[in-house]
Amino acid sequence: MNNIYLPNLVTIEDIYEEAPDVRSFRLVFKDPKLRDTFEFKTGQFGLYSAFGLGESTFCIASSPTRKGYIQCTFRKSGRVTGGLAQLSIGDTMGFRGPYGNHFPVDEWKGKNIVFIAGGIGLPPVRSVIWNVLDRREDFGNITIVYGAKTVADLVYKEELKHWEERGDVNLVQAVDPGGQTPDWKGSVGFVPTVLKEAAPKAENSVAVTCGPPIMIKFVLNTLLELGFEEGSVYTTLENRMKCGVGKCGRCNVGDVYVCKEGPVYTAAEIKRMYNDF
Amino acid sequence: MADKILKKAGLGALIESVTGKGGRFVAPTTDSRQVVFKKVKSAEEVATDYILARNSFKEFLFPQTEVVAEFTMSKDSVDMKGVEVYAPQTVVFGARPCEAASLAGMRALFTWDFIDEFYTKREENTVVVTVACTKGDDACFCTTVNLSPESTEGTDVYLREAADSYIVQAVTEKGKKFVETHAAVFSEGNAKAEPLFMPEKIANIDIAKVSARLKDKTHYDDKVWARLTSKCIGCGACTFVCPTCRCFDIVDEGTAFEGERRKNWDSCQYDTFTLHASGHNPREHQHQRWRNRFMCKFHFYPEKFSSKGCVGCGRCIRVCPVRLDITEVMEEFSK
Ligand SMILES: Cc1cc2nc3c(=O)[nH]c(=O)nc-3n(C[C@H](O)[C@H](O)[C@H](O)COP(=O)(O)OP(=O)(O)OC[C@H]3O[C@@H](n4cnc5c(N)ncnc54)[C@H](O)[C@@H]3O)c2cc1C
Ligand code: SF4
Ligand code: SF4
Ligand code: FES
Repeated sequence: MNNIYLPNLVTIEDIYEEAPDVRSFRLVFKDPKLRDTFEFKTGQFGLYSAFGLGESTFCIASSPTRKGYIQCTFRKSGRVTGGLAQLSIGDTMGFRGPYGNHFPVDEWKGKNIVFIAGGIGLPPVRSVIWNVLDRREDFGNITIVYGAKTVADLVYKEELKHWEERGDVNLVQAVDPGGQTPDWKGSVGFVPTVLKEAAPKAENSVAVTCGPPIMIKFVLNTLLELGFEEGSVYTTLENRMKCGVGKCGRCNVGDVYVCKEGPVYTAAEIKRMYNDF
Repeated sequence: MADKILKKAGLGALIESVTGKGGRFVAPTTDSRQVVFKKVKSAEEVATDYILARNSFKEFLFPQTEVVAEFTMSKDSVDMKGVEVYAPQTVVFGARPCEAASLAGMRALFTWDFIDEFYTKREENTVVVTVACTKGDDACFCTTVNLSPESTEGTDVYLREAADSYIVQAVTEKGKKFVETHAAVFSEGNAKAEPLFMPEKIANIDIAKVSARLKDKTHYDDKVWARLTSKCIGCGACTFVCPTCRCFDIVDEGTAFEGERRKNWDSCQYDTFTLHASGHNPREHQHQRWRNRFMCKFHFYPEKFSSKGCVGCGRCIRVCPVRLDITEVMEEFSK
């Protein structure tokens, strides 16, 4: 029988502490065949299980250009994520996916790309960032604007350092006012404001943004003010999900099922959607 | 030409014929003074004088709770396996034409790209034997949603009541096979069908208009939602009795060593249904949740699956503790 609710078993190969209550797991499929054949596209998500506690939805935070494993990054915020946070290297958990649509990275060849992320919104964007950096010559300028509440809350600190150091990425880091430390060298301000100051040029550019719903709303406005076209601004929605496959009725915005037709949308598509996310 | 007849006195023989082959026979039966669909073993249990069972028969295709996988855990291993679908040969006897018409939408939803075999296998093994309505009440409004006691959508075998028998019409291939399989209990004859109960079409409702209004996004923040539906207390009763509601939750039950993953009925009327872990809730107010239910029925199902999201059975009206009547909202959106 083909059981759409049955997860695959995965082993936690490595754990990275990203920020208070935020950690990443590097996961490999127990089934060696699946390890070799598993494919996904950047922007897709999965349902991750802590057995006995249930499932949670996270994006696949690694890039499809990196084969053999997947990575997820999550914030401890409830029952399932609390349970996952207690697992150690070598432990087993469940994964089903990949689900949903993806960022059309192939269509962006030759374009400048601007990434704008807030807090725990960086994981889905990270998948696109690495996807693009692994084929760096295919794209123009790359700008990353990333902000979090406090310095401690910035995730992927090692990678931020790497992106800062490599010469072919323009990284702007920010923390909310009051969130800075004495030796903080980045910007201070909310992401939409910092983006406005950074003012990446809109011509021949696409933008990718993810963060809390309120941030996304303001960032979309800012991008339009900067001259970005609605069809070239992408975001990913995080409506609550349970099934991931269009059945359970939880993720819809009007008649649009985010788990199936999303989670990746352009600003133009969002505008056509009901105001319900 | 003679009709195919099922004698009312022969119902017991039909039940025996079905259960004797290992099938389950589901019919309206009186339980705590309410008529409900339940598994029955004898004709004595089957209610004859009823308008509509209080529950919909969907729970025999899509159970209130169902194990989809089992797991065992030890110190260094976890084993997880799916379970076989419990899909016995089932006869749903005494369904009404309205609720039978819910099956097309349910099937479309459960097979939309990803096939939920827990639903499809059970549905495939189910024969819906509909008994056309000879009585109804004020809550019935099938005719307003373009159905009627004469409609056979979703029905495999359609029965018209006569004095001491049913006149039998096998509608689908599955229905024909059912009649052949249990040929001994059917006979040829002539009977005079009792008149059908035809609910009057609600004059101020035009469901094509309702769907058109919902398609136009401007209604979304209309104050009309709050005005008409704020009295909803979010109990979810309407969604559980509705033949087309199918929202569910996925939860784990068990100990630290073994357990199971279950699909449980859930309701879009609950305030935690869409609540994000961050505290953000896209449907924060009850009227937004109610709007979702209404849109699911009159926009999502028709638009996505060209099928009915509401079959006009009236169950939600009968069961609502605050007398929130879906037809009043339909009237508003027909303006
Ligand atoms: C496409 C997509 C991608 C995502 N990607 C990521 C990601 O990469 N990283 C990430 O961290 N998150 C991500 N999320 C969000 C993530 O799914 C949720 O944060 C997570 O599932 C919630 O954690 P949990 O399962 O432990 O919570 P649960 O135990 O299920 O609890 C959270 C839910 O329970 C309810 N709840 C909990 N506490 C209360 C309370 N006190 N009162 C009332 N209700 C309560 C709420 O409804 C809440 O939504 C993503 C979501 C989607 C849809
Ligand atoms: S919405 Fe109400 S009347 Fe319509 S099918 Fe559901 S229970 Fe019946
Ligand atoms: S039965 Fe009535 S009160 Fe309960 S959720 Fe439905 S509309 Fe609201
Ligand atoms: S997550 Fe279940 S329908 Fe989208």
